[in-house]
Amino acid sequence: MPGEAQPKASRAHIEVTTWVTKHVGGDGTGSKLFDEAIGRGDTPRTVLRRFTRRFPELDSALWSPDHSDLGSHIEVLVNDAVLGVAYDLDTPLTGGERITLLGQFMGG
Amino acid sequence: MSPTATTTRAAAKPATAPVYAYAGKLLRVNLSTGKCWTEAWSETDRREYLGGIGLGAKILYDEVGPKVQWDHPDNRFIMATGPLAGLPVWGTGGLTVVTRGALTGGATSTQANGFFGATLKYSGYDAIVMQGQAKKLSYLYINDDVVEVRDATHLAGKDTWETQQALEAEHGLSGHRLSVYSIGPAGENLVRFAAIHGDYGHVASKNGCGAVMGKKKLKAVCIVRGTKALAAHDTRGLIQVADDIAHDLKTDPSTSTLYNFGTLPGVVNLSKLGVLPIKNYTTNLTGDVNMKEWEAPALRGGFDHRGHQCNACGMRHCHIQVIPKGRYEGERVDEPEYEGWSGAGWTIGLTDKYSVSWLNTRIDRACVDVNEFGWVCGWVMECMEKGYLTEKQVGFKLAWGDTEGAYRLLQMISHRQGFGDILAEGVKRASEKIGGKAAECAVYTTKGASPRGHDHRGRWEEMLDTCTSSNGTMESANPTFQTEVGAPGRINPFDGEQVAKLVGMIRGRRHFEDSLGGCSFTFRTRIANLASALSAATGWDYRLKDAVRFGNRTAAILRAFNLRCGIGTDVEYPSARYGSQPVDGPAKEHDVRKQWDRMLEVWYDTVNYDRKTGKPRKELLHSLDLDWLARDLYGKK
Repeated sequence: MPGEAQPKASRAHIEVTTWVTKHVGGDGTGSKLFDEAIGRGDTPRTVLRRFTRRFPELDSALWSPDHSDLGSHIEVLVNDAVLGVAYDLDTPLTGGERITLLGQFMGG
Repeated sequence: MSPTATTTRAAAKPATAPVYAYAGKLLRVNLSTGKCWTEAWSETDRREYLGGIGLGAKILYDEVGPKVQWDHPDNRFIMATGPLAGLPVWGTGGLTVVTRGALTGGATSTQANGFFGATLKYSGYDAIVMQGQAKKLSYLYINDDVVEVRDATHLAGKDTWETQQALEAEHGLSGHRLSVYSIGPAGENLVRFAAIHGDYGHVASKNGCGAVMGKKKLKAVCIVRGTKALAAHDTRGLIQVADDIAHDLKTDPSTSTLYNFGTLPGVVNLSKLGVLPIKNYTTNLTGDVNMKEWEAPALRGGFDHRGHQCNACGMRHCHIQVIPKGRYEGERVDEPEYEGWSGAGWTIGLTDKYSVSWLNTRIDRACVDVNEFGWVCGWVMECMEKGYLTEKQVGFKLAWGDTEGAYRLLQMISHRQGFGDILAEGVKRASEKIGGKAAECAVYTTKGASPRGHDHRGRWEEMLDTCTSSNGTMESANPTFQTEVGAPGRINPFDGEQVAKLVGMIRGRRHFEDSLGGCSFTFRTRIANLASALSAATGWDYRLKDAVRFGNRTAAILRAFNLRCGIGTDVEYPSARYGSQPVDGPAKEHDVRKQWDRMLEVWYDTVNYDRKTGKPRKELLHSLDLDWLARDLYGKK
């Protein structure tokens, strides 16, 4: 998998899953992993902002129209937990975190 | 075969105004006497109660008193469709079954699709209301004006697919020309979680509605596709709205997966949130299973399959598939919904997809609710592993993932053989009977309703909904475009107050959907769209606020019915296991029990019910124009 790597202190790992992979060059299944450099003061919000700038479709799918908050169709998990538990969008990252973008689905 | 009764409808008086979207009549059947008759329902009643659960709740409240238990002949068994059924909106063959159910002993509403709803409307009826109990196993035959209670003793013991095949052969009709909903052996043997099944792959499964049918000795309801006219007020407008809904389903990011794959994406998606129930809630880890194989395209692509759409549906949802290899190679099965993959699979530790698919259809054919089967079978497997149940008690050794063992257990339950007789009472009653440590492993609500096929310890809103609902399953269901009713688009799923407020705020949407005669999946659109479709179909000016009011009215009637049956606030809790803290996985830090009482407080406050008595508050009832219900609940003042 491109970009796949072991966690290390100055990096965060972004895992794009399910239908969201279509917005980053995937086929709408599986996962695509990206290794992102982070610096002092980085948070899930700042890292995801930088990340989505490279993928315009993902940018409009992930954020609300004014970019002030997340939109309603993609769940963001940090280290397998939804936001609001150990992390929220503005919690400082310490390095090694895995940020997962999980497409919401309806049904079932 | 000699009909026991044939009744043609009374000559209709000249219509004063055309009836749009409705057949305009309810079909009444007394199974004790074989008498069948019709009654008109007024425009006022149609607007107020719509159909489906709205209509069913009112009939249930009016006609089933507190002493009429689920197995009493005076219990009503209502199969109701709604105003959109049979019209050109996707998935509009739906029916809602309403009755007093066998698991909770309270109101039941459970929905299924296929062609039944459309076929019923084309025959001239909006709903069938059955009462009484046949003297011998019977089926109801409907062919436009010919309505007969017929002998079904030759169908005894047949499973639901066999029953449909036998009736097709008997009447020389197949495909969409004959719609059949029936019970299998589990219904005939009064299994408390028996379902009813129809049109090869559709199930109204909740709260033991199949047991009610079995008690009435009603094997099947069989409708020849009718020939009556059915008109929309504004056909062009309706088609435009239907097109808008279809467009939303195809293009909205969260519904497009539903459009393409139905509920299949649920397995992988929910596993990442800790919401996939694995081995009876003993873990939330998928272990060494290759989850790539469980993604929707792989799940579907692993089988030979073809579309098996419901009435007027353009979704790529329902499929019939053939098992391509393994022990069950060549068998034709219904592609499991997400809940089939969970209830017949992950919940019981079975992760071979061919075996799950086979077992799921066997469960449908026996007419057993796949959710409750998962909780029962998973409970037995866990208890045997831990030594809380012995081989001597159960009759054989049953381990996680044992397909043939699970099937053997299904047969024992369906025929109430040996230990299966205890299990046929559902996991709540079975575990209470066994007691000890085994009782602590069972997943249920104290009201008796079966949780859906999720691990609700990671989805608190559905746990709260399942525990507080008055219809034997969920009343709010998962949030769908909830910002439309002023609810937040996103909450912290482990903040009890936020969860309870959301569940209360979205309450009623599901009742509106389930009264229209369509499918809860094709209706995953904005309520405003559904209201527009209803307006075009009927000629009414129906808006979002009307839909919300309708949903709250229906919920209040169901709540009042249950309170009258003695089902109160003391049974709104998860069982020890259902409400336990996960030992691993994404939700392992979170213990719902610590917040449960506060969640109930917030929920009661949000829906404007009294926390102590459980009653909808008087001012709420008056605001909903339910003065008659307020008088029933609070006296004449």
